[in-house]
Amino acid sequence: MARMIAWRVPQIAATLAILSLAAFLAIGAMPGDPISLAMMADPRLGPADVERMRALHGLDQPLLLRWWAWATGVLRGEFGYSRLFARPAAEVLWPALRGSLVLLGTALALAAGLGIGAGMLAALRPRWRGAVDAVALLSQALPAFWLGILLIILFAVTLGWLPAGGAPDAGGVAEAARFLVLPVATLAIAHLAAYARHTAAAMAEVLRAPWITAARARGAPESRIAFRHALPNAAVPLLSILALDAGALVSGALITETVFARPGMGKLLTDAVMGNDHNLALLALLLVAGTTLLATLAADLAQRGLDPRLGREG
Amino acid sequence: MGGDAWRLRTGLAILLLLALAALAAPGVAALLGVDPEVPDILARQAGPSAAHPLGTDELGRDILVRLLVGARVSLAVGIAAALASTVIGLAAGLLAAWRGGWVDAALMRLADGLLALPALPLLVLLAAMDPAALGLPRGGALSDVLRIVLILALFGWVGVARLARAAAISVLARDHVRAARALGVGEARLLRRHVVPALGAPLAVAASLAVAGAILAESTLSFLGLGIQPPASSWGNMLANAQDLVFSAPMAALWPGLAIALAVAGAMLVADGLRPRSG
Amino acid sequence: MIPEMREAEPLRAAALALLPLLAAAPAAAQGRDQGRDTLTIGLSQATGTFHPNIESMAAKSYILGFARRPLTGHGPDWRPLCLACDVFPTLENGQVVLENTPEGKPGMRVTWRLREDLRWGDGRPVTAEDLRFAWEAGRAFETGFGGAEFYRQAYEFISPDPRTVTLRLDKVSFDAGSAGGFEPLPAHIDRAIWEADRRNYRSRTAYDTDTTNRGLWNGPYRVTAVQPGAGVTLERNEAWAGPAPAFRRVNIRVVENSAALEAQLLAGQVDMIAGELGLSLDQAIALERRARGRFRFEYRAGLVWEHLDLRLDNPILSDLRVRQALMLAIDRPRIVAGLFDGRQPVAATSIHPDDPMIDKSLAPWPFDLARAQALLEEAGWRPGPDGIRRNAEGARLTVDLQTTAGNRSRETVLQAIQGMWRAAGVEGRIANQPPRVLFGETLSQRRFQGAALFAWISSPENVPRSTLHSDEIPTAARNWSGQNYPGYRNPEMDALIEALPQELDAEKRRPMWSRLQAMVHRDLPALPLWHRADAHVWPQWLEGVRPTGNMSPSSLWVTDWRMR
Repeated sequence: MARMIAWRVPQIAATLAILSLAAFLAIGAMPGDPISLAMMADPRLGPADVERMRALHGLDQPLLLRWWAWATGVLRGEFGYSRLFARPAAEVLWPALRGSLVLLGTALALAAGLGIGAGMLAALRPRWRGAVDAVALLSQALPAFWLGILLIILFAVTLGWLPAGGAPDAGGVAEAARFLVLPVATLAIAHLAAYARHTAAAMAEVLRAPWITAARARGAPESRIAFRHALPNAAVPLLSILALDAGALVSGALITETVFARPGMGKLLTDAVMGNDHNLALLALLLVAGTTLLATLAADLAQRGLDPRLGREG
Repeated sequence: MGGDAWRLRTGLAILLLLALAALAAPGVAALLGVDPEVPDILARQAGPSAAHPLGTDELGRDILVRLLVGARVSLAVGIAAALASTVIGLAAGLLAAWRGGWVDAALMRLADGLLALPALPLLVLLAAMDPAALGLPRGGALSDVLRIVLILALFGWVGVARLARAAAISVLARDHVRAARALGVGEARLLRRHVVPALGAPLAVAASLAVAGAILAESTLSFLGLGIQPPASSWGNMLANAQDLVFSAPMAALWPGLAIALAVAGAMLVADGLRPRSG
Repeated sequence: MIPEMREAEPLRAAALALLPLLAAAPAAAQGRDQGRDTLTIGLSQATGTFHPNIESMAAKSYILGFARRPLTGHGPDWRPLCLACDVFPTLENGQVVLENTPEGKPGMRVTWRLREDLRWGDGRPVTAEDLRFAWEAGRAFETGFGGAEFYRQAYEFISPDPRTVTLRLDKVSFDAGSAGGFEPLPAHIDRAIWEADRRNYRSRTAYDTDTTNRGLWNGPYRVTAVQPGAGVTLERNEAWAGPAPAFRRVNIRVVENSAALEAQLLAGQVDMIAGELGLSLDQAIALERRARGRFRFEYRAGLVWEHLDLRLDNPILSDLRVRQALMLAIDRPRIVAGLFDGRQPVAATSIHPDDPMIDKSLAPWPFDLARAQALLEEAGWRPGPDGIRRNAEGARLTVDLQTTAGNRSRETVLQAIQGMWRAAGVEGRIANQPPRVLFGETLSQRRFQGAALFAWISSPENVPRSTLHSDEIPTAARNWSGQNYPGYRNPEMDALIEALPQELDAEKRRPMWSRLQAMVHRDLPALPLWHRADAHVWPQWLEGVRPTGNMSPSSLWVTDWRMR
């Protein structure tokens, strides 16, 4: 296990470095740098002004040099200034990250809870399988923004029960929770299906295993078999979904954040990328990619710990 | 097992029906005497009538005919993206399994890296690039479809590659395959005879899932204004165009949303039906 | 075909069953009406920096309208007026004086007197020192203020007393009194920051590092909280000596998705939607049809000129007859009636009908399909087998049509135009791009080949030098500066544009403006569409908001806003 960590961590570091370079080049290659936007805003900027502004922003330097300056800055803990938000990039990142953690944390916990429950139901009680399948199917088939807007129309506009989006100005946890209901529901519905399907499939497989039959033959109660024997074994494949969802936790949910006007990482990342805000975009990207890669590593380690049969495939 | 067959049949029936509907688009357009791309701004958001069975959209175009024409684009995006992802993923997965060593490590870390990336912001970045810069023609629904397929395949191959690699490794480790190898059976032949057939079912599942994913992704890109460009219709851009006026004309948003849900559900049912139930 | 229809039946029935639920009268929370001391405004754009002179964004301008006074502005009647000063400087009142520069060039001297009661939120009076700091910072290029041209011209700053400021300018211009973006900046807070590091002032200014500092704000409100990208909270500025505003607090909520913005209005979470940056016009019109009783709607056609820039060096479009035919083939009254409920005035040229210099004798081009077809025939374009015209060489009459992707209103208009051109035998090929690509490259580096639909925003009597002077055609050699994207070259226009600003007598400028309008009306470097109307949505209980339709936002007159 220590060898695996020693082998994978440098790989993760290299992946991140390459990713940041690729992203830097891609964003730099996009049309519309800060100067051309300034030119749109102030038509009286002459050619000489443009020249001087480029030098002032360091845009006359080659991209590779600018990336190097950025990367060494990050290693020193200087994350730079977000052009778009006129704030230090790290300062912009935290509120968005907090927003995403709250929103996705709640939604994924809900989705995992309901999904695993539904999956177990489908595996243990075959007559429920059809219903669970239908719900899972529907939840995966609906476009997220469509579902979000339908929920808004129904619960916020027509019935007036819940806020249509945004965040409360004041009030305690209860008020904040009211604002969370619709976006969390939108996200949880979309994520629920994967948990339900995988749990159902894994449980079904485990329940057919000879040692479960043996346990049944010994007269172990069905509930004990389900929770004590089957579920832990079925959890192994769920780990990899959990790992990817850990990435989702920090990468946010662009569509849900947009429709419900909630600050979060998805919107931040997209705005930063589209707004040519190198510092912010790269910082957010590294955070998201780093978290996901580490979570994947953790999941691989855990899987290996739970299931020693896994060899090279880890 | 009977339930799975039922799933497969239902899924295929839904997809077939949608494909037939797509094929019928010109016929329906002729029958109703409407052109799906010509606006009639004096007949905007009309309710259902004999001339427009589902009413008209924000530019006075027939919703039914646009749905049918849009089916062609949306299904084409779904199927083409799935095919491209599968082909690239299969090649990468087999290569990794077969070669092992640093080729395997490099390909799998690339896959990890792509999986670790937040897909949507990058899709947005890529979709915003000038198609001319990618060597694609500008304008026209075909170039939009190509652009979107290319972008989706760029991310879509990863899952297939992991699947193909895992399956190939386990097949190559089987005794009879090892025996064949020891007897000097050619590598290409070994892959073709033993590995690829064993991959058929999981690949078909992955491909069906990719169809579903691509149809949803097209609608998301359209929501962000980066999908199929007007006046061509796709379910995604119909849905996106309807959203501004969703409170006054909810039906214009309802139909394409249902069409997307139906197509995605169909593809997922097929995937379910194809999924091998191991015992 | 019939089976499909039947297949659709159950779905349709289900959808129809859902419909009453969706369309039911909004029962949204309305219980917050009593004791209202907070006004919540929905805005569709976020702002980055809060510094008045760094970057120009409509959202920032709207928010700052509540919290600080610029030196001058344009009122709802479009006349220039003083906001932080006493009397608007003119030749007649002696605050503008013609003189020569030390080098002997014609120049002028303009004097502003600051309002006596204007104070920063920490109680310190706004003085000439605040303007001196703004002038010095603006003149130092590395500060990166907008409006570089104005600071270049203002070569000397004179202040005989703390309330009086005179600038000497090395150019003569009839609108010198409005001072561009020149306005008092809090020297007691920001000067030390600027002097410590001029290059990095733009990222260290207290406006962004300490936005809630009262000393930054001299308007009726001050900023008390910022949620980056999501909103701003404003509260009454205790140091404000003018008439007190009606609301203790103003919340600005940013909701970029327009459907979500409308939902928040309907759900009662925002009280009003700013017309400057709010709902699209067709969205507002649709909303008004359903919610007339709940909200008040006002539409103000502003100085936002929607048009199609034509690439004049495209061989097809270089032919004036083709350009005129394209113009004649667009039925603008029909589009305006069909899409915008007739709320946007069809434009004759870029000059707004309410502009003091409009030439009313110049009628907008009519819709005349027959004449368009005749002109195309005359230009050698004959109908082909598929209805698209071809020239003698067999080339199709195809014109690229581009606009900003994601702007549904423009996308809709573009499709309507495409349909109308088709009737004249012209094929429009739509290839929309995200705004950043369209503005950042396609237009600004003149990569577009056909027609591009977008809008120019301007101020009253703004001389269109950057869009019409031949020196302003962007080229690589000029670092792509300039906005004459069509590539319009006309020596008479160049001369007129140079002469106009220097003519100080408004009555003598009038014929010059008429000539300018006549020339663009004939030459059509851009096809004028209409002047865009802003849709203001207010609650029934709010009155006194006056949309301006110019670059001075309605929020500058927030002290007139009252509860009914």
